[in-house]
Amino acid sequence: MKKWRNRRSLFKDKESEIGSPKNTEKDDSLGDLLKQLTLSNDFTQFTYHVNETSLCIGYYTPLIDTEILHRDILPYLKKWESFSSLSSVLPIEEVILTADAATIQENLLKGYIFIFDVNNLKQVCLVKAGVERTRQVSLPEVEFSVVGPKESFVEALDTNINLVRKRLPMPELTIKEMIIGKLSKTRVSVLYIEGIANKENVNTVIQRLSDLDFDQIMDSSYITQLIQDNQNSPFPQLIDTERPDRIASELGEGKVAILVDGAPHGLIGPTTIFEFFYAFEDYYLNWAVASFFRLVRFFAVLFSILVTPLYVAVLTYHYELIPKDLVSTLVTSRSAIPLPPILEAIILELAIELLREAGARLPTKVGQTIGIVGGIVIGTASVEAGLTSNVLLIIVALAALASFTTPVYQMGNTIRLIRFPFLLMAHYLGLIGVAVSFCFLLIHLLRLSSLGRPFLEPFYPVRVQDLKDSLIRLPFSMQSKRPIQEQTEDTMRFNPKKAKEKHDSKRI
Amino acid sequence: MEEKEFQISPFLAFYLVHSVQLGVGVFGFQRTIMKSAGNDAWIAVIGGGIAVSIIIWVMYLLLNKHQKDLIQIHRDLFGKWIGGFLSLIWIIYWLMIGIVVLRSYIEIVQVWLFPMINIIMFSIILLVLVYYCVTGGFQIVTGISFLGVVIPFYIFFTFLYPIEYTHFRNLLPIWNHSLKDVTISTKDMMLGYLGFSTLLIYYPYIKHPKKSQKWAHLGNLLTGVIYLFILIISIGFFSENQINRHTWPTLSLWKIVELPFVERFEYIGITSWVLIILPNICISVWASAKGVHTIFNIKPQKVVVVSVVILLILLGSTIAIEGRENIEKLNKYMSLLGLWLVFVYIPLLTLLSFLLSKIRRRNIEKA
Repeated sequence: MKKWRNRRSLFKDKESEIGSPKNTEKDDSLGDLLKQLTLSNDFTQFTYHVNETSLCIGYYTPLIDTEILHRDILPYLKKWESFSSLSSVLPIEEVILTADAATIQENLLKGYIFIFDVNNLKQVCLVKAGVERTRQVSLPEVEFSVVGPKESFVEALDTNINLVRKRLPMPELTIKEMIIGKLSKTRVSVLYIEGIANKENVNTVIQRLSDLDFDQIMDSSYITQLIQDNQNSPFPQLIDTERPDRIASELGEGKVAILVDGAPHGLIGPTTIFEFFYAFEDYYLNWAVASFFRLVRFFAVLFSILVTPLYVAVLTYHYELIPKDLVSTLVTSRSAIPLPPILEAIILELAIELLREAGARLPTKVGQTIGIVGGIVIGTASVEAGLTSNVLLIIVALAALASFTTPVYQMGNTIRLIRFPFLLMAHYLGLIGVAVSFCFLLIHLLRLSSLGRPFLEPFYPVRVQDLKDSLIRLPFSMQSKRPIQEQTEDTMRFNPKKAKEKHDSKRI
Repeated sequence: MEEKEFQISPFLAFYLVHSVQLGVGVFGFQRTIMKSAGNDAWIAVIGGGIAVSIIIWVMYLLLNKHQKDLIQIHRDLFGKWIGGFLSLIWIIYWLMIGIVVLRSYIEIVQVWLFPMINIIMFSIILLVLVYYCVTGGFQIVTGISFLGVVIPFYIFFTFLYPIEYTHFRNLLPIWNHSLKDVTISTKDMMLGYLGFSTLLIYYPYIKHPKKSQKWAHLGNLLTGVIYLFILIISIGFFSENQINRHTWPTLSLWKIVELPFVERFEYIGITSWVLIILPNICISVWASAKGVHTIFNIKPQKVVVVSVVILLILLGSTIAIEGRENIEKLNKYMSLLGLWLVFVYIPLLTLLSFLLSKIRRRNIEKA
């Protein structure tokens, strides 16, 4: 990790040296600034006459709320006496007096209006009149749940923080904000609960973020890719969620969350591979039901990765492994097929990937139709044409279905990707090939870490206490301790004795 | 002592000791030990387990006193040159364990699954796997040895299937072989237990190493119990003459397993065994790599170079050794070297270390 940090910081120093002098040269005086601003057509500038003085007013039209300008600024300018009294006259809390061209430019781009006296260029008044156009808080679409809250994050950082903060009304919830991206100047916030979250985790996140040097941060997934421990791994090492309730709950467990302006997703770390198979709905259902579904999901993933490779391995090399009755089924379904199992499997797997990709790129309604048409027509036709066998069609379709059970979208993609190396190895070495690829996967997972914490926890390193909320979820009364994975400063969530007490009289 | 970041919990010594002991030996140990002791071979398994436990105890005496790995102990006691030479013998021994495991496994795959397999490609694939594991550091090696014990453990339940057809009367009469026969058989059994000597090198990587002794003994116990379990079922299932005709009786046992969707269970067994032999090779390669690092004072950054060289040696010898007889010969030499090193050299070294420290202390008192 140390190496990683050094590399990042080296990179940054070099870049900032190149970048900074250019900016200062460009806007050294107000006149030059004005010249530069008027080049853009969406910049409005006009003169306004008040008591014999003419005031120059300018702003970027799309960035400001004209209503504020008309209602709260222009009428009050009539009462103007001296420049310094402006801040007390205007009914707006953020009024800045400055002469620095850089500050003016920066604030104009944030939605400020500048006002100055034409005869006195030494002082410029900046008034906040920004407008934020975002969509309403709506239903979660990726992580939909039947039970539980149905709010999801939107593209505005402040709205998102509001959604989290109202679930955690405590002063200890700390938010550290920073600006990342030379061009995009994206606001990125790190959220954690002081006194619960491990300082080391928080510092790691903040350090990695502040060491970042990148031009545009368009979404939180940029941040995931840029700051995760192993950037070449297909496995995401930070959880990506659109549910504010999930973020709030994981903050309470002692994790660190990252929210990015313009991204309807939050990031959570440190995490483990098993958390990618939790749907947040698991916590809204009874523990037995939730545990059952978690196990189903986990086996679905194993099934999805292993079943097609096993089919290829067995039908290429190990026919004798299948009992007599089953072999006749397989033979009848495969008897007319001219292709070797590997080609058969790859054709079908790619067909399913095509359907998925086409479905994802098309508008919802067309997408659904394509899915049905593709699934039924192409599937049946390819079997009738003798390109693939019935059995494989069922297997591939089930495997694809199983890969969609993962609640975190990114993980589903990874699972579909790692099937292909398994397939090729199965073709080359049969069952042994599948086993060898599985070992590769295990070692890879062992080597991964999330913010420096082991990724395969609680299985390795074994932490029995954390097993209570991993593959299965035990009742809340047993979850009185925070996970060891997070190394929290306050390990107890609640008093386990009190949680079990019931103060109602016993009925017989 | 190593840095705390890289250390492992004491209970993981259980998996490290057990996973390096259990390997391809399980497939064919019955014939070797029943050659001399017949139906009394189970005594040899127990005897071997106890002997190994004693040696583990001796090792801990030595290691607890020095709190260093074997290579550094050698350097302290014998100086740079002689110590380095002795350490080199150990490294060769650990490398041989890796070669034996890899070659024997490839042989089984060759005989049972793919007669025409390309040995070079197959060993390269396996060794790339080992490389990926070993370069991750000791924690990853420990991780794979933990998973290599836990994940394939289901395989041992399949040995319950043959119980239906076993005749435990085959075990009787007990003790119808002479003490000499049983001793020879115990000696032959040792091959199945070897490998635990890697403890000498990863000892500094264990947190509170003194606490790990209990776990190391338990790991050895589990190995013994598994061998005993399979042996007793084999004795009951086969007659003595039958066993002599099977090179790998364990694999033949699996032929009985019948599930509604799978026949020829030995294929599944051999496949799952990849995960059991992987820690074997990884631990031995890691131990040799670590040894080379300490002897020649190589920087830890050069781990890639050292592991590649070691893996190339492994690859070369795996390709060079051809045929059943040569593999048997390699097995024999390896176990002989192992026996001498573990049962003669280690106790002597411990004795010497205690004597030397006493003499040195007396010298200091006199002065």
